[in-house]
Amino acid sequence: MAICSLCGFEFEPGGAACAERGCPFAGAGCRTVDCPRCGYAVPDERQSRLARWVRRLFAPAALEAAPRTLADLRPGEDGVIDGIEGDPALAARLTAQGLAPGVTVHLVQRSPSYVIDVGETMLALERRVADVIRVSASTSRARADSSTPTQ
Amino acid sequence: MRTDQRRTGPEPGRTERRVLLVGNPNVGKSALFNALTGLHATVSNYPGTTVEITRGSLNAGDGSTEVVDTPGVNSLLPLSEDERVTWDLVSSARGDPDAVVVQVADAKDLRRALLISLQLGQLQTRTVLILNMSDEAEARGLRTDMEGLSRALGVPVRSTVATRREGIDALRAALPEARVPSNHLPLPDDVAPEIAAILAGRAPLPDPEAPPPFVARYHEALLARAAELAVRFRGAAGADRKAEVSRGAAYSRRLGRLSVHPAWGWPMLLVVLLAVYEVVGVFGAGVLVDLLEDGLFGQHLNPLARAAFGHVPSRFLQDLFVGEYGVVTMGLTYGLAIVLPIVTTFFLVFGALEDSGYLPRLAVMADRSFRVMGLNGKAVLPMVLGLGCDTMATMTTRILSTRKERVLATLLLALGVPCSAQLGVILAMLAAVPLSAGLVWFGTIAAVMVAVGWLGNRLLAGRRGEFVVELPPMRWPLLANVLAKTAARVEWYLKEALPLFVLGTLLLFALDRLDLLSAINRAGQPVVSGLLGLPPQASEAFLIGFLRRDYAATRLFDMARDRGLDTVQLVTAMVTITLFIPCIANVFIIAKERGARTALAIAAFIFPFAFAVGGLVRLAMRSVGLWEIP
Repeated sequence: MAICSLCGFEFEPGGAACAERGCPFAGAGCRTVDCPRCGYAVPDERQSRLARWVRRLFAPAALEAAPRTLADLRPGEDGVIDGIEGDPALAARLTAQGLAPGVTVHLVQRSPSYVIDVGETMLALERRVADVIRVSASTSRARADSSTPTQ
Repeated sequence: MRTDQRRTGPEPGRTERRVLLVGNPNVGKSALFNALTGLHATVSNYPGTTVEITRGSLNAGDGSTEVVDTPGVNSLLPLSEDERVTWDLVSSARGDPDAVVVQVADAKDLRRALLISLQLGQLQTRTVLILNMSDEAEARGLRTDMEGLSRALGVPVRSTVATRREGIDALRAALPEARVPSNHLPLPDDVAPEIAAILAGRAPLPDPEAPPPFVARYHEALLARAAELAVRFRGAAGADRKAEVSRGAAYSRRLGRLSVHPAWGWPMLLVVLLAVYEVVGVFGAGVLVDLLEDGLFGQHLNPLARAAFGHVPSRFLQDLFVGEYGVVTMGLTYGLAIVLPIVTTFFLVFGALEDSGYLPRLAVMADRSFRVMGLNGKAVLPMVLGLGCDTMATMTTRILSTRKERVLATLLLALGVPCSAQLGVILAMLAAVPLSAGLVWFGTIAAVMVAVGWLGNRLLAGRRGEFVVELPPMRWPLLANVLAKTAARVEWYLKEALPLFVLGTLLLFALDRLDLLSAINRAGQPVVSGLLGLPPQASEAFLIGFLRRDYAATRLFDMARDRGLDTVQLVTAMVTITLFIPCIANVFIIAKERGARTALAIAAFIFPFAFAVGGLVRLAMRSVGLWEIP
């Protein structure tokens, strides 16, 4: 959820809204967040390493307490998948590979690609994919069997 | 109806039975296939596609049971052309009493395997579930209650270690007991009607490139049920997994991690590249080529052939087979003595790399740099295979998820990735010139690839697919598997390449006979001599370059030895011929995979472009004054 800095409108950045307005950059190579109400555009913070680093500098505790996507996890941390957003094609592929709500993922590393352990599967994925996998912090520090759904 | 047709077939009383091997990728399906079948496996294209299917017949049977190895899938609802083939094959087994699906599962990863088992239940195919690699599962302390699972699913469950041929007899004995998996899967209300419609044939399969949202929700529902079953029959084991991992598994895990490590990944990559170079470049292109070309062909076979044809009264026939453009002395010598050893050693190494699980890790390391060219790390697989054979690699571009990526990868393969045959010739040419010349050649090709990829990325419509790659555990490749794969690839290569070598030689021979060769050399003079600064005879080399560019490179190599080209000429010639389309077979495969228009467009772009880049490089080298004797 983003809040427009100009008119204060709350909206979901990217995705269908951009395509509907017929923006030629929708989905490919777009680096801005455009407010659907007033059209005000700002550079997309999530795509900037520098901006993320600055964010973390100012609110390290808040970020650590509540990872929101796989991309927010630190190497060595576990998270439980809440859902997969975005493109249905990508979601179809990821779910076929065993990523589904309730499943525990373990982040191994973030560079040169994100590498995660999901049960017995090890997956490498780029940041763009890590961004669409919503996770919440794993309840216990010890690694539970990842195929166990959380009740 | 189906069975009636079969019973009235040519051999009454002997029904043709089928066993379909279905399962996730990397679960040892091929190893199980090898264990189940004899030596005589046939590889053929699935009708209407270029997806290859391996078939064999069941060992120790009466020879009437066919075993089919299907492409690995994570879900039976297809998300790519390969997976579509698996869907078609499994669908054809529905309601066929003579067909059995053997689902091969990784015993360690029950949850993902059960996703497919549940789908087989919905498709109503007779199934046997095989937990393969059960030794690895046991080493991790993962034990499955197979009887319980068998009762819950209603199908026989057996465990195997296919690589050691354990459990194969039990599997064979279980085939007649195959049952339709019980199907008590409650699907969400918005998913159930869609799936039911597809299963009943009332709705088409979802578009693999743009599946509707219900596909993901369908998978989620299946996974939830699969996880339930996995927990029930395996327990929440693995909590203390680290302690139970065997030494070998721990070692493989560590190696697997290091190979994608942000720092250690690079030295490992270097070691792998060096090993490939030692085997292919030094041993294959050096030792073996010397042995075969100078030794076997130069000293024994060719003199023998000349002697034999010396008794043939016709001068024409003598020239045709053993003359300057002779089928034996030129065509077969190039094809068998120079190309064959290089291609064979390359495919050996590539097969070993494939089976070791290193290639997906290479994709991880390459991902960032490939994004510049509008591709993702996955494209490294066709690119590396292209170093063996570009035509084969063009077929592999199917693993890329969008059309744009497939076109880009096809173009870059055709343009700049030298196949092992050509690479061997180029390495030989490089040995004769200063190291800096090799660097200029390599730098030019690399720069051209990046520039064309970068531009293509901007000009072509469409988007890049997301990079998601499964990293299988690192394993020691099995010699038998690697050798069998290499044999299949070499055979394929020979069938594609040797006829073209002979055809090219015949073409040159005919042109020479008809006195057209000198006319062609004169006609090509403005470009070949004017633009590239090469002797006019180089025209004939470029002419056969339209058939195979490595053949042309070999011709240029001969010319350099005979006529003494200087370094600038040599580099110009190498750059131009490297940028040519690999071979005529490649054009056909591009047309088949990407459409005739794309093939035509790629060819129309590449040939003028190759000469233009050659001319530019020459101009640049001359104006800087590289390698000029003061």
